[in-house]
Amino acid sequence: MPAIVVEGLTKRYGGFLALDSATFTVGEGTFFGCFGPNGAGKSTLLRLLTGQMPPTSGTAEVLGLDPAKDAVEVKRRVGIVPEVESPPSYLTVSEFLRFAGSLHGVAQLDGRIDRWLSFFDLRGAEGMLCRDLSKGMRQKAMLAAAFLHEPRLLFLDEPFINLDPIYQRKLRDYLLELREDGRTVFLCSHILDMAQRMVQEMIILDHGRVVLRDTVSNALARGEDLETLFLRLVGGGNGLAP
Amino acid sequence: MHTRYSSRQLFLSLPLYIFILTALFTFGLDILTGDLRLWDLMLLAYGGMFIYGLSVGAFGVLGQTYLERRYGKDNFLIGMPFLLPVTFRRAFLCMYLRDVIFYSILMLLPALGGVALGAALSSHSVLSVLLVFLGLLVTFLYGMSVSFLISVLYGIDRRLFLLAVGVLLALIAGYGLTDLYGLELIIPSIGYQLHARPFQMDWGRASGYLAACVALSISLLVLSLLLVRPERAAIAGTHREMFLQHLRRFSRFPSPTLLAKEFVDIRRSGLTVRMLFAYVVPLVFLSFTTYYVNHGLSIPVGFNAVFYGAMVGFFGVLLYSWMTNIDLNDYYETLPVRVPQVIRTKLAAFFLLTTGVSTLFVVAISLMNDEPQLLWLALIVLYCTSAYMVLATAYLTGLSTNSFFFNPTILTKFTAISVLPDLLLTVLSFSLQEGALWAFAGILGVCAALVLLSAYFYRGIERRWGNVGFL
Repeated sequence: MPAIVVEGLTKRYGGFLALDSATFTVGEGTFFGCFGPNGAGKSTLLRLLTGQMPPTSGTAEVLGLDPAKDAVEVKRRVGIVPEVESPPSYLTVSEFLRFAGSLHGVAQLDGRIDRWLSFFDLRGAEGMLCRDLSKGMRQKAMLAAAFLHEPRLLFLDEPFINLDPIYQRKLRDYLLELREDGRTVFLCSHILDMAQRMVQEMIILDHGRVVLRDTVSNALARGEDLETLFLRLVGGGNGLAP
Repeated sequence: MHTRYSSRQLFLSLPLYIFILTALFTFGLDILTGDLRLWDLMLLAYGGMFIYGLSVGAFGVLGQTYLERRYGKDNFLIGMPFLLPVTFRRAFLCMYLRDVIFYSILMLLPALGGVALGAALSSHSVLSVLLVFLGLLVTFLYGMSVSFLISVLYGIDRRLFLLAVGVLLALIAGYGLTDLYGLELIIPSIGYQLHARPFQMDWGRASGYLAACVALSISLLVLSLLLVRPERAAIAGTHREMFLQHLRRFSRFPSPTLLAKEFVDIRRSGLTVRMLFAYVVPLVFLSFTTYYVNHGLSIPVGFNAVFYGAMVGFFGVLLYSWMTNIDLNDYYETLPVRVPQVIRTKLAAFFLLTTGVSTLFVVAISLMNDEPQLLWLALIVLYCTSAYMVLATAYLTGLSTNSFFFNPTILTKFTAISVLPDLLLTVLSFSLQEGALWAFAGILGVCAALVLLSAYFYRGIERRWGNVGFL
């Protein structure tokens, strides 16, 4: 069964067309990449798929559920890391993880919290309020909260932003483990060299339209790395097309 | 930011709305107030304006609250000194002036125009109306300055803050319990009003009090600017676990996780202190004023325990508005939670937080006024109006109360919803002194209607906010 099915998904903000009839499928266990320049519609697509807002038209199915109708159930089953790291200001890091885990109905929460505090080296900061954390630490807290309930499907919007190279590497390795484990990852990112090492299938968006639907291995077989492909498809307007 | 919740045209029509409303109010003042004496009304207006100023002017805590939030595309005036060659003092002065201009142009001047028109069309003297308005404007500025200074002290040292609030409360208590000084010592503009039309025509003393109030407002503003310290000290220490403790405490409630977080937010954001400052202080102020006028001056005023029950209920809107403004809600988008669930949790927290305090207050006021026979009715009125007002506010404004109140459509609905029962309860409560049975029946009837409407609003929250996101 596909993890995500998208058909003619469209989103308008007033007169602005943010996403234009997107159609694609993501198979279960696929590491899926969504790329595109700023304002291409990546975050809009992610928000539509996670039930954060309804589409203007078209349909989407996530783990067999309609995110526009079953947003809470979709959010219960998936893990989401949004573009802007914004954990609750007045909870400490460990309280935030308990809060998120409790809302996801995670049993034996203490062990899980310990694991992720250790993984992201948040032990020294576990009693600090989220508002007092650096951007990178906030990002780690958001990632830990999304991984805590071990979801079958992860939606990650720029997860590497604000992380230092050590934790970028650590996160990449963990995501690769998830891929091996048969979990599905939907990744939006601008860090194309990093993405190229993880992503199996991808779409490239430009001005709200899907301009490419392909596998990374196909692109590489054509002798194009992800950055070259990206610039060829969407960099022309900026004089950056190869 | 506020225009985001309405169209530009709608936002700019707010002054027109206030103009029309105040004109109608002034024109129908005699009918609306009924037995309410002019001085009672004036006391309410001055007290209300002082409290309004208090609620607007707490800039001293904005440095922390706003800078720590991540609005992404919004830049706040308070953040300027970090980016531009501007001092914090100048930024805070700009903020003070900005709000004086904002509230004057958007609300107070249209209100003046409306009141003047209403007065011209009725029997009221336009000059008296203008003089009252001048006093109210100065009272608003004075309230802002007092609030600014106290909030600055809060940022410097909590003990200084408590001392300042303690002095204010002591002044109010001293006024209520002794006849050593008048209310004008606490709010000098009341001294101005006592000596200006429509009460007296002692221009010398009136202008003296007015000048004193203006001078005091400016002095407090200058002192605040000299003391302000918006830079956050190194307070990024560790905090004692509080969430789990609250989670266990609320385990039998619906949505215990959300409720526990709400209480942690309330505790750590300092909302309880703000509540003390802008919710309890005004109540104490009003109760001691009544006590003094009743017992010190032996002038029977119409404010009784039932009136206060209604008043406290209506005060709740301010607190709910603060509760929706403690933190951003972005992260809820990543969690299996819906907007109506969070609204209902905030309502539960509101009732848990305020029921005890407001009950104590109404019991105390009923004993202070020697009205134990009215206590049962006052409590019924308190609970009904509290539930009604906060549910109506939650229904109309969801999780963005402050911003939606700048949307004239919402404000019109809110005014219609709040003013009518408020007026009815006020007029009926004044009639209780004559022992009129119809007044008792009327109050109970209004309460029954409020309960039914509360149920409607509660159920409407799902309908109105069920398909809305947190962003």
